Amino acid sequence: MNGAEQVAIEARKQDIRSRWLLSAPALIIIFVAAIGPLFVMLLYSFLVKGDYGDVKPWEFSLDGWTSVFFQRDIFDDTLGLADAHVSIIWRSIQLSFFTTILTLILGFPTAYFIATRPPHTREIWVFLVTIPFWTNLLIRTFAMQQVIRNEGLLNNALIWLGIIKSPLQIIYTDTANLLGMTYVYLPLMVLPLYASIEKLDFRLVEAGYDLYATRFQVLRKIVIPLVKPGIIAGSILVFIPSLGAYVIPRVLGGGKNMMLGNLIEMQFGAGRNWPLGAAMSITLMILVMVALIVYVRNASRGGSGHV
Amino acid sequence: MTESRTTAAHGGAIGLHGIKKWFGNFQAVDNVTLDIRPNEFFTLLGPSGCGKTTLLRMIAGFEMPTEGQVLLDGADISGLLPNQRPVNTVFQNYALFPHLTVAENIGFGLKMLGRSKAEITSVVNDMLKLVHLDGRGHNPVTQLSGGQQQRVALARALAPRPKVLLLDEPLSALDLKLRKSMQIELKRLQLETGITFVFVTHDQEEALTMSDRIAVMSAGTVRQVGSPWDIYDRPAERFVADFIGETNFLSADVVSVADNRARVRLSSGAEISASFPADVTPSGSVTVVVRPEHARAGAPTDTSALRGVVHDIVYLGTDTHVHVHLDDGTAFMVRQQNARSGHCGFSKGDTVGIDFSDDVAQILRD
Repeated sequence: MNGAEQVAIEARKQDIRSRWLLSAPALIIIFVAAIGPLFVMLLYSFLVKGDYGDVKPWEFSLDGWTSVFFQRDIFDDTLGLADAHVSIIWRSIQLSFFTTILTLILGFPTAYFIATRPPHTREIWVFLVTIPFWTNLLIRTFAMQQVIRNEGLLNNALIWLGIIKSPLQIIYTDTANLLGMTYVYLPLMVLPLYASIEKLDFRLVEAGYDLYATRFQVLRKIVIPLVKPGIIAGSILVFIPSLGAYVIPRVLGGGKNMMLGNLIEMQFGAGRNWPLGAAMSITLMILVMVALIVYVRNASRGGSGHV
Repeated sequence: MTESRTTAAHGGAIGLHGIKKWFGNFQAVDNVTLDIRPNEFFTLLGPSGCGKTTLLRMIAGFEMPTEGQVLLDGADISGLLPNQRPVNTVFQNYALFPHLTVAENIGFGLKMLGRSKAEITSVVNDMLKLVHLDGRGHNPVTQLSGGQQQRVALARALAPRPKVLLLDEPLSALDLKLRKSMQIELKRLQLETGITFVFVTHDQEEALTMSDRIAVMSAGTVRQVGSPWDIYDRPAERFVADFIGETNFLSADVVSVADNRARVRLSSGAEISASFPADVTPSGSVTVVVRPEHARAGAPTDTSALRGVVHDIVYLGTDTHVHVHLDDGTAFMVRQQNARSGHCGFSKGDTVGIDFSDDVAQILRD
């Protein structure tokens, strides 16, 4: 090996070393803040629960995982389906799905409206959409409670108008959860939709009309396929936090209409079953991932569309 | 080309009657009246902002005239939406649907009209052949070159067999060679399909090459309508003469008028004969135009119409531009075709005489 080669190899080593050094901050954050806690949670889900919360270190068991979906019968010790858990998980999926649909239905015309305003006024509209973010989620949720409770704004107004005789029971139902989540997550749908509608080339819309398409056909055949990235992004941004919603079902749904987030919280609090809580958290993550994969796959398959 | 296509006599006369269009305080079109004949290649020519595109968009239905009527084969279509008019547009940027294939783009109009799958497939295949894109039907449009996208846009607009095809500067994004071949292609398509073409451009050469008739527009008004040679050889006014080609303006006095010809005296004292627009009776002092290629420069003689000093000589390959300062101070340009021998025979500072044959001068409307 001659000297020049030696120098070149040395330089390469130096290069690799400095590359690692430069990316160290990012790597540390990823490991400490994201992957690390995940492993802790995965570990906890396989441990035995402690008597007063926490876990018994290094005593392993699958109980945490089995009790996500199953429960032992008190008398004969057989495994049966944990109806309560399954129905809460199912409710979470349903409510998140309908929240996504509802925000899409409300958000699309809103975003379209903003994107078709003159450029200098668009910023004002976008700004107005983001105003709710200035207020704490808890406060917004309580505000919603004031509106929909039995003696609340909505019921009083309807009674005063003579439309109904006795107040509608909205609060502490799934409808309340749905309304609350739709209200809170609507901006998360509007903003990505706006971003992609704003980029839409409206000459394509004209071309559609020119080629005999009706308004509805232009929407379905041209606008929606072209703003699909925005629809996907908005749906993901709404669906994920909906699935893990905690404050909204706690305040608006009451005790009977728990969602997955509340169930998980219960295991770490009153339930004193950390392994089960950890297993449920990971279940939630898996649900989100599966939903994402299915959704993105479907969406991109439709993207190469047919006339 | 199938027989039915060439013989299809299916109308396509556009009438624009007293069209005015205001955008807020800005008047884009001012009282335009035009009649476009069936199966005509009609060009709206003018600088940007002259209202030609607005006029086209009113025929398409994207804009409503503030005043006036748009007629198609005699019927008022002013109130119809774009999707109710048997008129299709080739957009300046093509406006192809990026999420669809070539064939899906071309078939879009027919699909919206509710035609059967079989019919759509067969028309799309015909169209692909017509624009030389056979076998490219399944390509995404985003993978095509500019020229190919242009042809897809054409095929897409032609597929529903519109009565009138509107073309909004469709060649402006292409390079020179491609533009030339597309000009010929467009003319061929217009003859083969029997469809009326209304073409918008700011490129005078494009307009002269392809059009049956040209309307020259400026500031929302039509300045002159006529065949390319009418527009070029007999411009009615200064704007038209100046906008199309290169022109020499000379001031002159009318001596006599007889049989659609006038005798005018130039500043040099020479008298020449000149034609004039039909609606004008020339008298007094007028402006006369002579195209540079209709003049000859040579050694000054007693009979030379004009005399001047060579100010600049520009060699352009096919021809040479000789810029002359006339004795009365006006600038005059002579375009001489180059022979192989090369030099035009003058050099800067030479005194030259300029001659032209009798029928090349045109008197402008004031």
